[in-house]
Amino acid sequence: MKVFKKLTVTALTAVIAVTASFAGIAAAADSLKGKITVNGSTALLPLTLQAAKEFQKLHPKVKIAASGKGSVTGPQAVKKGIADIGACDWDASIDVPGFKAFDGQVANKVAVIPFATIVNKNVGVDNLTTEQLAGIFSGKITNWKDVGGSDANIVVITRSFGSGTRVNYQAKALGGGDIVKKEKNYKETGSSGDMKTAVATTPNSIGYIDLVYVTGSDIKAVKFNGVAATTDNVINGSYKIWAYGYYMTKGQPTGATKEFIEYVQSKKFQNGSLKKLKFIPIAAMKG
Amino acid sequence: MGAPVQSLASKTPKRAAQMQSSVNEKRHRRHLLGNKLSRFYFLFSILALCFVLGLVVVFIGKTALLLFAHVSPAEFFLSFNWTPEEDAFGAAAFIVNTLSLTALTLLIAVPVSVGMAVLCAEIAPKWLKSFIRPVLDLLVGIPSIVYGYLGLTVLLPFLRRVSGEGLGDGLLAAALVLALMVLPTICRISDDAIIAVPRKYRDAAYALGSTRLQVIMRVVLPAAKRGIISAIILGMTRAVGETMAVVMVIGNTPQLAKTLFTPSSVLTSNIVMQISNVEFDSSWNYALHMMAFLLLLISFVLIFVIRVLGRKRGDA
Repeated sequence: MKVFKKLTVTALTAVIAVTASFAGIAAAADSLKGKITVNGSTALLPLTLQAAKEFQKLHPKVKIAASGKGSVTGPQAVKKGIADIGACDWDASIDVPGFKAFDGQVANKVAVIPFATIVNKNVGVDNLTTEQLAGIFSGKITNWKDVGGSDANIVVITRSFGSGTRVNYQAKALGGGDIVKKEKNYKETGSSGDMKTAVATTPNSIGYIDLVYVTGSDIKAVKFNGVAATTDNVINGSYKIWAYGYYMTKGQPTGATKEFIEYVQSKKFQNGSLKKLKFIPIAAMKG
Repeated sequence: MGAPVQSLASKTPKRAAQMQSSVNEKRHRRHLLGNKLSRFYFLFSILALCFVLGLVVVFIGKTALLLFAHVSPAEFFLSFNWTPEEDAFGAAAFIVNTLSLTALTLLIAVPVSVGMAVLCAEIAPKWLKSFIRPVLDLLVGIPSIVYGYLGLTVLLPFLRRVSGEGLGDGLLAAALVLALMVLPTICRISDDAIIAVPRKYRDAAYALGSTRLQVIMRVVLPAAKRGIISAIILGMTRAVGETMAVVMVIGNTPQLAKTLFTPSSVLTSNIVMQISNVEFDSSWNYALHMMAFLLLLISFVLIFVIRVLGRKRGDA
C-alpha cells in the first residue's frame, strides 16, 4: 500500500511538473523532477556527461544516468523503454546502410561531429579524393603509388560493421561506397581508441576517426578533395565529412527529458561546454 | 575466553567451578547453534552458485536456440560465409579458427612449459626454484589486456619486420601472445604433478644405472602424465576463452585463417567486436549468443575430461 501511495504521489508530481512546464510557469524549473536515462553512442558520451552535470546543478531533483556502448544500442534501448534518450551517430528515424529506421522515434540534433581520414606518419600522401578513398576501402586500389605515394601496400584499418563512425564515413567520404574485407592488409577495430593505436603503430596504414582524436605525431589527417579537416572548414561548408549527433526519443520528448534536450541545444551549452569538447554547435551549420 | 575464567578459578574455586559449568553449557549451546547455522550458510552459498551457473546456461542457451528458427544449424556450423548484414550467418570460420589457434598455442606453449616444469622440479638448485616459482605465479596474475597491449605495440612491429607483412595481425601473433599467457599455468601445474611422483621411482631407476635424462624421460614424465595432461587442458580452456589479448592482435576480420598472417577472428573476439553493435531481437544477436553457448560447451567438455583424468589417477 505504501508503495502505491508513493507511486501515486510521484506520478502526480510528475504530471504537475509537466503541466507546469507546459504552462510556462517560471517556478517550474526548480520543481522539475524525474529520472532521465541516456544510452548509446560512446562518441556523444562526453557531451552527455558534461550536459548532465550542468543540468543537475540547475535542477537538483532530476537524476540523469548516462552510459555508452554502440550507437545502435541507443535507439534500441529507447524502443524497449529502457532509456528515455538514445544517443546515436546517425538519424535512426530513417534507413541507413545496414540498419532499418526505428519507427515512431524522433531525432533531435544535438551536435556536429567532424570525422577525418587518417594515415600513419610514414605515408607521403596528403590529399585523397572521394574516388580514391572509395577505391582504397573497396580493395580496388592496393598500393600507395596509385594515389601519388611511394611503392608500398596500403594497409586498410576500419571499424567493425555497425559502428556509427563507419556508417557516417561510408556515406560522406566514400560516396556510399562499400568497405570490403581482404585476405591481407585489412584489419577491423572495435573503438576509436583502438583505431588510433592501430594506425599509429602500423606503417602504410589508412583509417578514419572522429576529428577530436587526431592528436600526436604518429598519425596525420589527410585532406579530402583538397580541403583540410578542420572545424572551420566544416563550418564554412567546404569539408564534407561530418555528421549530426542525435538524441533519439520515443515520440516528441516531454517533461524532464524535453528540458534536458533543450538545455543541450541551448546557445549557452552549444557555444560553451560543447565547443570546449571539440564538437561543433548545430547552429554553426548553414542548412 | 579461556584465560580469564581460569584465573577466576584459582581465586574462589567453588563459585568459579559453578560459573564455569554454566558458562560452558551456554557456550556449548551457542556452538551447536553456530554449527547448525553455518551448515545452512555453506549449503546456501553453494546452491546460490549452482543457481547462477544454471541461469547462465539457461539464458545463453535459450537466446542461442532462437537462432535456429531463422538459420539452419547446417548453415551455422558448416558455412564459412559470415556477412550478418546480408543474412549470412556461417560460423564455421570462427570455429575452425578457434580450434587452430588453440592447437597452435599449445604447440608453442607445451614443450616450453613442460621443459620449464622439469627444470623447476628436477634440475634447478633450490635458490633458482625459489626464484622461478613466484615469478610464474606473478605471470598468471597479469591481466590479459596487458599482454594484448604488449602484443600490439611490441610483437606486431617485430613480426612485421621479420615476415615483411604489411600488418602482422593473425593467428601467429595471437598464438604467441596466448602461449605466453598459458605458459605459467601449464608449467606450475605440471611442476606439482612431477613433484608428486614418489622419490622411490627415481631411486630405483638410478639404482638400475639410468642417466638423469633417462630418469626424466622414461620414469618421471610417464608417471606424471595424467597431471601434465590436466595442466595442458587447463591451459587450453584459458586459450579457448581468452578474449581481450586476442582481439588486439588477430585482425578481427570474419574469414578463415588460411595463412598464419591472415587477419581473422575467433569465437571470442567476434562476439566482443560485434555484440555492442547488434539489435536485440535479431538473428545476428542470436548467432552471437550461439557462439557464446558453444564456448560454454567446449569449456564444460574440457573440465569434464580433467575430472575423469583426475579420478583415474586417484584409483591407481
